[in-house]
Amino acid sequence: MFERFTRDARQAVKLAQENARRLNHHFVGNEHIVLGLLDQPESVSARVLIRHGLDHERAYRAVFDMIPPHAGDRLDADALEAIGIDLSAIRERVEAAFGPGSLDRPPQRTRQGRLVSGRHVAFTGPAKKALELSLREAISLKHNHISDGHILLGVLRAGPGPAHRILAQADVDLETLREEVVAEMA
Amino acid sequence: MSDTAQLASDAGSRDPAVGLRAVRALRMLVERLEALQVENAREQGWSWQEIAYCLEVSRQAVHKKYAGGRGLLRREK
Repeated sequence: MFERFTRDARQAVKLAQENARRLNHHFVGNEHIVLGLLDQPESVSARVLIRHGLDHERAYRAVFDMIPPHAGDRLDADALEAIGIDLSAIRERVEAAFGPGSLDRPPQRTRQGRLVSGRHVAFTGPAKKALELSLREAISLKHNHISDGHILLGVLRAGPGPAHRILAQADVDLETLREEVVAEMA
Repeated sequence: MSDTAQLASDAGSRDPAVGLRAVRALRMLVERLEALQVENAREQGWSWQEIAYCLEVSRQAVHKKYAGGRGLLRREK
């Protein structure tokens, strides 16, 4: 499925994960996918959403207010400094090797019981479903690629949840939004 | 070491609250580093045996910790 994603669509998924990391969340939900879409303001999905008054800043604040960050995950830099360990130096080297934020979260257990490093931010069930639905949206529109617009349609189709609540808070009418995204992609 | 760290270290060397807090912070850091390194080693095709050897722990210990609880029923490499 992902091989059919356009560059903007891939970037949106990557940015969704980055937004989740920045918020110190342990998962990527549809709300983070919306943030990923909005993080590319020139993309079709972002342009339509911004026209409805929802930009990245506003959506980010809404997600931040709705889902508090995991506070207990912060490494105790002061305590480490007290025994002569410079956490920022360690962080710099680890991130150079494993990417930004790789030291910010504790290892997590997957549903299969594997322990994975903090580098991974897993997609929630609804978010996986939305990405699958984006493929179905593309097929029903007879498009042979999946763009950021299809992802937004997938999120709309995925049903109620934080993402829909954020759209509702910004007074976005889902049906109108859907029609406009479809029209923009035609 | 910076002046503040030196101060903290001098003052804290005999203070259990400071010392234990440092140990806890270090343990959290080690857990994260270990998970990153084990995962990286697996991605590069290392066996559990090789990883265990480097960490100086048993293969079963590292496998149980990272591959999941049902170790004996799983295919091990």
